[in-house]
Amino acid sequence: MKGGTSLKTGSQPVSLEAVTKRFGEFYAVRDITLRVEAGEFLTLLGPSGCGKSTTLKIIAGLMPQDGGRICFGSRRVDMLPANKRNVGLVFQNYALFPHMTVRENIAFGLRMRGWTRAAQADRVRDLLALVRLEGLGDRKPGQLSGGQQQRVAAARALAFGPDLVLLDEPLSNLDAKLREEVRLDLRDIQRRARQTTIFVTHDQVEALVMSDRIVLMNRGVIEQVGSPRELYATPETEFAARFVGANNLLPGTFLSDGNGPRARAAGLEGPIAANTVASGVGAPDQEVWVCVRPEQIGVERASESPRHAGLASFVARVSDMVFQGTSILIDFQWEGITHVRAERPPEEVAALHPGDEVRLTILGCHLVPRSASRPVEGGIAAYADGGRRYDRSA
Amino acid sequence: MTLRAGAPAPRRRRGPSLPAILSALFWALYLALIGAWLIFPILLVVLASFQGNLEVTWPPGHLGFAGYRAIPGGYWQSFWFTIKVSVGASFCSLLISFPAAWAMVRGRLWERRLFSSLVLLPEIVPQLILGIALLTVFIPLGLSNSFAGVMLGLIALNLAMGLRFGEALLQGLPEEYELAAASLGAGKLTALRLIVLPMIAPGLAIAALFIFMQNLIAFVLLFFIAGPSATPISIRLFTDIIDRGVVPEAIAMSAILVYVAVIFYAAVALALGPRYMAGALMSRKG
Repeated sequence: MKGGTSLKTGSQPVSLEAVTKRFGEFYAVRDITLRVEAGEFLTLLGPSGCGKSTTLKIIAGLMPQDGGRICFGSRRVDMLPANKRNVGLVFQNYALFPHMTVRENIAFGLRMRGWTRAAQADRVRDLLALVRLEGLGDRKPGQLSGGQQQRVAAARALAFGPDLVLLDEPLSNLDAKLREEVRLDLRDIQRRARQTTIFVTHDQVEALVMSDRIVLMNRGVIEQVGSPRELYATPETEFAARFVGANNLLPGTFLSDGNGPRARAAGLEGPIAANTVASGVGAPDQEVWVCVRPEQIGVERASESPRHAGLASFVARVSDMVFQGTSILIDFQWEGITHVRAERPPEEVAALHPGDEVRLTILGCHLVPRSASRPVEGGIAAYADGGRRYDRSA
Repeated sequence: MTLRAGAPAPRRRRGPSLPAILSALFWALYLALIGAWLIFPILLVVLASFQGNLEVTWPPGHLGFAGYRAIPGGYWQSFWFTIKVSVGASFCSLLISFPAAWAMVRGRLWERRLFSSLVLLPEIVPQLILGIALLTVFIPLGLSNSFAGVMLGLIALNLAMGLRFGEALLQGLPEEYELAAASLGAGKLTALRLIVLPMIAPGLAIAALFIFMQNLIAFVLLFFIAGPSATPISIRLFTDIIDRGVVPEAIAMSAILVYVAVIFYAAVALALGPRYMAGALMSRKG
C-alpha cells in the first residue's frame, strides 16, 4: 500500500503451553501448545465448536483456563485479568462505543493507560492515517460504513501498542464484496504495524488469503499447523483434507513396494503414484484417502485422443456444470464413487454438456490416512459453508 | 355509484378495493375508540377541574380557576411531600436495583432466578398484606407516619420495577462492549461508568420516569404507613373525598397530578428524542 505509515507497536511472540479448558466432562480445548512469532499473522481455523473461540477468550483473559500457561514474550499472563494483559481485541460486531467519537474510541486504551491529552492526540492521528480514516475522527461510529467501523475497531485495538491483537471472526458481519476488501485491508494494516495477530475464523478462504500460518483445529485439539500452501497441498489428516479447500477423496490402500509412494484406489485400474504423502501414511496395505483437488483433474471427451498426461485416467459422465466466471465446476457420475468434481478454465470445457461421456485424468494426488472409525464416504468434499456441514456429520 | 350490467370485467388496480377501504375504516374506528378510552378520563378530570364539578356539561360553562384557588394549604403540603418522597424513592431504588441487576445479569449468579422472583414479591403479594406487615415492623421502629417510613415502603415497591428495568436494559446491551473496555485496560467499575451507564442512560431515564409515576399515585401500601404528619396526596384526597364528597379543590388537585405526570413524561421525551419513547425500552443500538 503506497504511503504506508509504519507504527511502533509492542508486538511480542506469544506462547501457549498445554492450555486446557473443560466444561464438565467435555474438553473444549485440550492441551493446546503453540508459538506465535513476533509480527506473525496466525489463524485459528476450524468448524464451529472446535475450540478456536474458547482459545481466543482464554488468551484475552475473558475466560479462565483449567490448565497450562500463556506467555507474551517472557511475561507470563495467564493469571492476569483481561484489563492487565495488554491485548487488543476486535470483535465480530466491533463493539465500538456508540456514544464516543471515532477519536475517543481509538484513544480509549490510551486514556486507560494515563497518556496525556497531547500524546493521545498524536497517537490517534497516526492511527487514523494507518487505517486511512483521516478526517472522520469526529464522527460517531453510527455514521460510518461497516468497513470503516471495522478499521476503527482495528485502530482502537492497535492504539496502545498491544503485545498481541486478537481478531474474533471480524469479517462475518460484512457482505461478500466488502469482506474481500476488508480482509486485504486488515492484512495490510497488520503488516504495516508488524503486529503479532491471532485471527479466528471458520472460513477457510479467509484463512488461506490472510495468514502467515494456519492452525487447523477440530474438537478442541490442533489437527495441523502450517502455511496456507502447506495446508492446502499436503493436509496431514482426513479432516484437514476435507476442511481446507474442495477435495475429491477416493478410498484406497497404500502400496509399499519400493517404487515410491503409490496407492491402489477403488475404481482405478493400476496403482496411482502420489506426489505427496501425509506423515501418517507408510504402513503396507494401510487404508488411505487418495486426495485429488478439482484443479488436478484434466477433462476431455472420451472420443478424443488423450491430451493430458497424468497419473491415471478413467471414463465418467458429466452430471452438472456450474459457471463461476474464471472457471467452470463440473460434476461427474462415476462408478464406485458418488461424484467427482473438476474445476477447469471455461474455454477448455465450453463444449461439454451434462450427459456427455468424458475421460478424466488425475494430474496429481496426495495421500492421507483413512481413520477406521469413520464410514467410507468418498467423493467431493467441498465446504464452502465454512465447515459447518462437516461439524454436523462428525 | 353506478353499476352497469354487462360491463366488461371490472378493471383492477384502480384505487383501493372495497375490502381495503372497509378494513382501513375499521382500524381507524378501533384506534379512535382505544384513544377515547385512554384519554377520556383524563380529559374529564381536567375539564371538571375548571368547572368545579364532576358532572361535566357540554358545552362547558362557568370555566374558571376557582377550584384551583380554593386548594387548601394541607393539599399543597401533601403534594410537595409526595413529590419529594417519590423522587427520593425513585432515585434510591434505582441506585440499589441497577447494580443488583448488573451483578445478576453479568455475574451469572446461579441464584439469579430465585432472586429475580424474590424481588417480584412486593408486586405479587397484595399491597394490603405488605402494608400490614410493614406497619407491624415500622411501629416499634418509629418509622410509621414518617417521611422515612413512606420512602422505605415505596422503595420496597420500586425495587421490583427497577430490577426488571435494569435486567432488561443490561440483557439488551451486548456484553462485548464491556469486554472491549476490559481488553482496552478498563477495570469493571470504569467500564460501568464510562461505557455501560452512558449507553443505557436513556433506558434508565425511562425507568426513573415510570417508577416516579408509580410513586406519585401509590395508594394501598401507603394507606397503612401514612399518618397525619406524613400524608401523601393520594391519601389526603381520598380521606377528604370520603369526608366531604368530591369538592372542587380535590378535582383541581387531581388535575394538577395529571399535569405533573405529563410534564415529567414530556421532559424525558424531549431529552431523549422520540425514538426512545413509545414503549422503546432498549438502550441505543451499537
